[in-house]
Amino acid sequence: MGKGFCALFKKDCRMLAWGKFFLMAIGFLVLYTAYVNLGYVRFMQMPPYNVYLYDPAGTQVEKSPLVQTVSSMEAMDAVLLSDANGVGLDASAGDVRVILYEGAEHVDLHRADYALSLLRPSVSPAPEVLGTNTPEQKARKEITCELLFFELAAVGFLGIAAVLFKEKGMGVIRVHAILPLRKELFLLSKLAVFLLSDLAFAILLTLLNVGFGDGMTVLPAVLLQTAILSLMMALVGLLCALLLKDFRQFTLAYLVIAIFAATPVFLSANTSIKFDWIGCHPFYHVYMGLKNAYFGTDISLAYYVGAVGMIVLLFLAVRLAFHREIGKEG
Amino acid sequence: MKGLKYQLKSVLRDKFCLMTFLLPILVAVALNFMGSIDLSSLGELHFGVLENDLSPQTVAWLEQYGPVTAYRTQEELVAAINEPSTNVIGVKADGNSIKTAISGDELDIFRQAAVTLPTLYEQRQNAEQAEVQVLERPDILKNFQGIFIPAVLIVAMFMGCTFNAMNIISEKEDGVAFINEILPMTPSQYIFQKVVVGFLFGSLSSIVTACICFRLSWQNFGLLLALIVLSSFVAALIGLFIGKLSEGLMIGVVYIKIVMLAFLAVPIVCALTGVNGPLAVICNIVPSHPAFDGIMALSAGSLGTATKDVGILVIHCISWSALYVLISTRHKKQATQ
Repeated sequence: MGKGFCALFKKDCRMLAWGKFFLMAIGFLVLYTAYVNLGYVRFMQMPPYNVYLYDPAGTQVEKSPLVQTVSSMEAMDAVLLSDANGVGLDASAGDVRVILYEGAEHVDLHRADYALSLLRPSVSPAPEVLGTNTPEQKARKEITCELLFFELAAVGFLGIAAVLFKEKGMGVIRVHAILPLRKELFLLSKLAVFLLSDLAFAILLTLLNVGFGDGMTVLPAVLLQTAILSLMMALVGLLCALLLKDFRQFTLAYLVIAIFAATPVFLSANTSIKFDWIGCHPFYHVYMGLKNAYFGTDISLAYYVGAVGMIVLLFLAVRLAFHREIGKEG
Repeated sequence: MKGLKYQLKSVLRDKFCLMTFLLPILVAVALNFMGSIDLSSLGELHFGVLENDLSPQTVAWLEQYGPVTAYRTQEELVAAINEPSTNVIGVKADGNSIKTAISGDELDIFRQAAVTLPTLYEQRQNAEQAEVQVLERPDILKNFQGIFIPAVLIVAMFMGCTFNAMNIISEKEDGVAFINEILPMTPSQYIFQKVVVGFLFGSLSSIVTACICFRLSWQNFGLLLALIVLSSFVAALIGLFIGKLSEGLMIGVVYIKIVMLAFLAVPIVCALTGVNGPLAVICNIVPSHPAFDGIMALSAGSLGTATKDVGILVIHCISWSALYVLISTRHKKQATQ
């Protein structure tokens, strides 16, 4: 049995290499790493609102160094037009007048009061810092988690299906029906290949983007979550490959996953927008598992039980579909 | 015409292919039914307090800046502050004043808000007296919600591209592409046959999506129709390019993904960051950018911008078709030599 498994495993590896699966994974790894290090970390910065003051008589002597002075009202209009989040303070007529472009109601009020407070700054106690991550560490962990999830759930899934459809088209399943091997080995070797390649991808992506020190700390938990997601996606990919007629039909399943599964999950898990129904979304729990692993938050036992149950259920469904397919071929 | 009949016949038989075109319509219906997703809370401040810690007046004062959530225990409050997806600022009573707590991983804007909050609290009487002049925002993106609908429309237009690319790749794999090369067919006839199906279904699906999402006047609808038709045509043409350039299914899928990402990311990032100047002009190279820009302009009632975007799309249509004919003619010449 061991020998048979090894032979199948080798064949699957060769199949993936031939289908340029590994090449594609390396390409995406380079792309993601370049995006995180050259784009995302720089892009995800939001400086405090700029405050501009027009004070020809120089009445505001206590003002904070954060306040920028402008020479005329025309200059103020121009600078506010180019920086619509900035706040203008006009002290030319005695009382200070606040000028700002409309945004969300609460935020506008805060912007106005914040700008006024900078004219009379007082020393207040610095906020207590409770967490351990810096903004850059958080941004790196967050985007790495998103990219890993996207890669496994959408990109890797598509790769898996492309290879499996090719194999199906070549009649490999038909050959397996007459091979003197246990039928489950065919599925297990496939799962093992995809699992190993996904784990290797997760290790490289995490270490390259989160950083070596931080990455090593979170890696064990991340690998466990990657394994769960990878097994689920490989099984769904197998199921699609067995049930659907050709690859073109499969692209629909891919689109459904990309649009319906990923968007609300990303919105709920990464922003303050929380949907009431998101608890019913299976991908949300898997994504949160991965995210909690990156941020070192505890994951409940119920999630693991659910995940294992889901994997077993999917495996049984795939087995059934596989036996049906063999029966059809035979 | 006969070739076109066969193309349509094969598409109508393929139920999944039809469903692909129905998908954006389903998303549009879902968006309409789901109601408005309030995205304006993204940039808002969120405060976390302990129950019975702050006076009701202080809580009311905080609420004017953003939502306040009360937690029963200190542990719950710390967990909420440390939660990475939110930027909750913890606020506690400190004698007559208040003190703040943050997790330390916030963006600078939220950190600065936490630093200055006690000062704001001290000066709350003065702030009420100041005169505030609120100007109307020059850009049309008052909230992020408007982005969803054009994004769905872009996906609808993109369907023609996916379909055409997949169609040509499967033809290549089945060997039909070789037969096409020796058929007495001019490049323009080939383009016509291939483009028409993707284009027709792409625009139909986009038009239905637009009808569900938009309530426009007839004149605006005419412009929207022009935007849809032109961008569906460009998408279908790009599908031809992808099909032509990709050797196998795998490479084709990678190309489609890259194009789809660029199609969606460029206009959305431009809209969110408010890019202008030469960079905005360069962004017009991606055909989905003028389409997105035009739809946003129409929803804001700015006809001038929408007409300009229609013009840009016309240029796209002409240049992409010319490029394709040029490449095909050269390819055919090489093949016959």
